[in-house]
Amino acid sequence: MKYKILTFICVILALAGALGSYFVLTSPEKTRVNIISDGKLVRTIDLSNHSDEQFDIRYRGRTNTIEVKDGKIRVKEADCRDHTCVKTGWLRSSAMPIVCLPNHLVIEFAGEEGGVDALAW
Amino acid sequence: MLTLLRGNIKRLTELSLLTAAALIIFVVELQIPNPFPIPGVKLGLANIITVYTAYRYKAGETAAVLMIRILLGSIFGGNITALIYSLAGGLLSLGGLLVFRKFIDEKHLWISSVFSSVLHNTGQIVAAIIILQTPQIIMYYPFLLLSGCLAGAFTGLCAQVVVLRLKK
Repeated sequence: MKYKILTFICVILALAGALGSYFVLTSPEKTRVNIISDGKLVRTIDLSNHSDEQFDIRYRGRTNTIEVKDGKIRVKEADCRDHTCVKTGWLRSSAMPIVCLPNHLVIEFAGEEGGVDALAW
Repeated sequence: MLTLLRGNIKRLTELSLLTAAALIIFVVELQIPNPFPIPGVKLGLANIITVYTAYRYKAGETAAVLMIRILLGSIFGGNITALIYSLAGGLLSLGGLLVFRKFIDEKHLWISSVFSSVLHNTGQIVAAIIILQTPQIIMYYPFLLLSGCLAGAFTGLCAQVVVLRLKK
């Protein structure tokens, strides 16, 4: 009986892995966006089925206003000095994240980072 | 290690042979082309020896065989950067294995192997996330979970056959 349960757990683990792999493989590429504030992932947005929205990310009293519209994302307003993030415009490529250095904010496509594999394994 | 084995040359020789065998299996497996492009997905045939040792020898002896195999394996394999991932996975799965052997008997050894294989992959992925500071690596975890179950079942069955036959 004990071994039936343990075998069952093994099967469950394998099935969980198979299901997870299936979901990872079928999830559409480059629609998931990570918003990272001060090194911490504060939000993940799936642009493919996200309704239009506007929200603020705060860091030490300063604010970036982020806009999601028509499956695209950008920083609409920022109270930093240089407004690089606003000028970057809509997020287009994983090679070019939206970055606001003064407010420690990064908006980038979630996904495999280039070079990680070769470096790590 | 030496104090552990003082006066017991036979045991020392057995453990050395096991370590050497594990090392050979490890190096030979490196030469087999991996059809899966996902890092961490592999058969881990050397763990047949690890599981066998865990069921036949003391905890310290098993740890010694595994640690020496991992250290020498990463040197012979020419991939020192992989050492930290191997160690993280190896230590976690070793700990698990030493617990599992208490309540899973030899006739169901493959179950221990599956669990410790899953622990191995968990350790690897946690180490990778911590070292690379990239939480997205967790996306690999489902693949590792599946491959860990399959590879663990296979190596476990091999070890199970060896344990039961050598007992006779």
